[in-house]
Amino acid sequence: MKISSKSILKISTALLASTIFTNAVFAEGTYGPFPVTLQGYEGSEENTVSYSGQIARHVLHDNLKVLAANGNGGANAEEVLAQMMAYYNGDENGLEVLAPASTDDFGFMQTNTSEISSGANLEGKFYNGSMNAWPGSLTGKDVIVDMMERAALTNGGVDLENGLHYPQLISKFTMGAVSFHQAVDNYLDEKLEADTKPNNEAYSEGAHYTGKEHSWDEAFGYWGAPAHALSLTPEQAYNIAKKADLAVADANGDGVVDMKSEYTFGPAYYAADADKSGKTQYLHTIMTAFIDGRMIIANAAGEALSDDQRTELKAQARIIADNWEKVLAEAAFKYAGSVYNDINKLKEAEDADKADITADYIKHWGELKGFLMALQTGKNNLGETATQMNILTGFGPVLEDGSFVTGVDADGKFNKLQRTSLGDYQINMLKLQQLLADDFGLEARKNDLSDELKNLAEAIEAAEAAETD
Amino acid sequence: MPPIFVMIDILSDIFGHFWDPKKRVFFGYLFLSIIIALLWLVAIKGSDLKEALGKLFNRGTWLSSSAIADYKVFILNRMFTLFISPLLISQLAIATSVYYFLHSFDIFSSGQFANVNPIYVTALFSLTLFLVDDFSKYLVHRWMHKWPLLWSLHKVHHSAETLTPVTVYRIHPLEGILYALRGLFLQGTTIALFSFFFGSAVSLYTVLGINVLVFIFHIAGSNLRHSHIQIRYWPWLEHILISPAQHQLHHSIADRHYDKNYGVALAIWDWIFGSLHISENDEPLEFGLKNVQTEHSSKLHTIYIQPMKDMLKVIKRRFRKLLKP
Repeated sequence: MKISSKSILKISTALLASTIFTNAVFAEGTYGPFPVTLQGYEGSEENTVSYSGQIARHVLHDNLKVLAANGNGGANAEEVLAQMMAYYNGDENGLEVLAPASTDDFGFMQTNTSEISSGANLEGKFYNGSMNAWPGSLTGKDVIVDMMERAALTNGGVDLENGLHYPQLISKFTMGAVSFHQAVDNYLDEKLEADTKPNNEAYSEGAHYTGKEHSWDEAFGYWGAPAHALSLTPEQAYNIAKKADLAVADANGDGVVDMKSEYTFGPAYYAADADKSGKTQYLHTIMTAFIDGRMIIANAAGEALSDDQRTELKAQARIIADNWEKVLAEAAFKYAGSVYNDINKLKEAEDADKADITADYIKHWGELKGFLMALQTGKNNLGETATQMNILTGFGPVLEDGSFVTGVDADGKFNKLQRTSLGDYQINMLKLQQLLADDFGLEARKNDLSDELKNLAEAIEAAEAAETD
Repeated sequence: MPPIFVMIDILSDIFGHFWDPKKRVFFGYLFLSIIIALLWLVAIKGSDLKEALGKLFNRGTWLSSSAIADYKVFILNRMFTLFISPLLISQLAIATSVYYFLHSFDIFSSGQFANVNPIYVTALFSLTLFLVDDFSKYLVHRWMHKWPLLWSLHKVHHSAETLTPVTVYRIHPLEGILYALRGLFLQGTTIALFSFFFGSAVSLYTVLGINVLVFIFHIAGSNLRHSHIQIRYWPWLEHILISPAQHQLHHSIADRHYDKNYGVALAIWDWIFGSLHISENDEPLEFGLKNVQTEHSSKLHTIYIQPMKDMLKVIKRRFRKLLKP
């Protein structure tokens, strides 16, 4: 067959057209902008997407983590606690952004919380149900305040005697108790009902967005993903949080990173971390559900959502909530593996290396504990699963002398017991991973401790009840 | 699913062993056994090919009432196994509990020897699995003969009066369960121990999905153990490996062959524990049980129900002895 120049032209045109088309579809895969649908709106706003308050809370959380490490062993406790409380309670006049902070290769647009959103705080949004994972029978808010008070008294945020790493505990617990809790137990839950924040009314008086539009946006804000996350690989989304790839973060090419739409915060970061395993797609699954849900609302064109539309919307909300919960459980699973591996290192270490290994151990335990607590702030009552998680993990890691925190006395001092071993605690970590994998249906399973055992047992089929001589 | 597919499914579950390289009666191993038998008869024994083929495929062996009973038991036992297997404890469950248990010793840490060259670890693991399996089969087999309660079950296997490769399936289902549990516990424990100490360095040398050593056992004519082809090895080798003739001798009803050659692949266990009997010079052997009427021994009732009755008798006798002053 002879190929004419005309047909070559046709083919290249078709190729070019399809490339342009594909890119157009890709560009649509961002969260926003979405047009104004509020009926009767006469203002000049064109984009209804708004979640700056949520981004401000991510930033407050990041700062709390930094400040929790500022104690010098007691002398500056009052001052450190006051600083933490300032970020916890928020400030109308704005607070300096200590983290995430610009570097030479990765500059942020904002340096003060007032440039993101004024008036946002963590206290008002914090989970306040009971929190049995922490000693003292406290509520969620009591626990975070207790943690901050104790952190202020430590040196560098770490209580070596009890094995508690407050920056990690505070950070991971807050990632659940504010972001996860608000999104799945509030905005993606009761705010989707017909009589709450309806779509045929402004979210609040004077707003240019409807009740449902803004409720959905707020949930998205708590998720913490850059608006263009669908065009990113897990590595890219992860690298943004590590401030390692400006070009990927800077979606609009203005040379700086806008925290409000271009940065990866906590929950989305851990989704990307799990997805790097290649076994899961939490980040894209959740992003797609957020965008699809937002389209359902936009397509309602300012009318109240019908029952069918709300059913569809709730289906998307369910995808988000379920996968978000898995992301937290995957992180806990990973750190249970780290804790186990640290114990191995501790068992084999020379005395000179033990301090460093113990530091890692306590840090990883703090992340594990924080994520397990985060899981207990959602919409689902985890029941037996939560009880088991808390029993297996305890109130503190088992230290080298076999001691661990068992509770708190009337003066607020931790009680300790010395009656177990590092090896027994490793068994708890094995069981904890099994529990998390089974009850949450985990797939990434980083640092899987029984992977090799399972593979071997599967590879070597059990001898069947037959061959005898 | 249409009934025809259900039927095919069930049939492939029952007869699947014939195309599963993990099983002794895999057609490939059977084919190799035929080749080995022909080579033995023609090259060593000097038969001509026609004569050898005639000996191999004679009706008297393959269609004897004993052999036909083997075929029926094969099908019934396969169906029984399909029901019972899922009820048994899983190998992973055993491996996991042993793995957990190993953590309670603070002198050990998991992955302690993970840096050993994986080639050595894999070789050691393959060999250990094979040795543990072979030795435990020897032991359990020995108990099957020595303990009256277990002999009640095991005599089903010995009631075969002609031996074919399918005779390997002629066992009472309870015996099958005992053997399966043995495998589950020992294999599960070995897996846990290696996994604990060597971590990711452990794997198994396999051919067609089975331990290379088991594979060698099968391609070397494991099916001829249950046959009338008396392949013998040199006496020195029969102290190391059990030859087909040695196992046939285990099935012989002659008094001097009683309680000999319990081993499966290795003869060393028999040698160490004094039950070794090397093969004898081509004399025809009579297989089966003494004192049992031939016409009854291959009835399904005798195979499945009689052992239970016999076990009950043994238990009653024990109790009577206990109660007597």
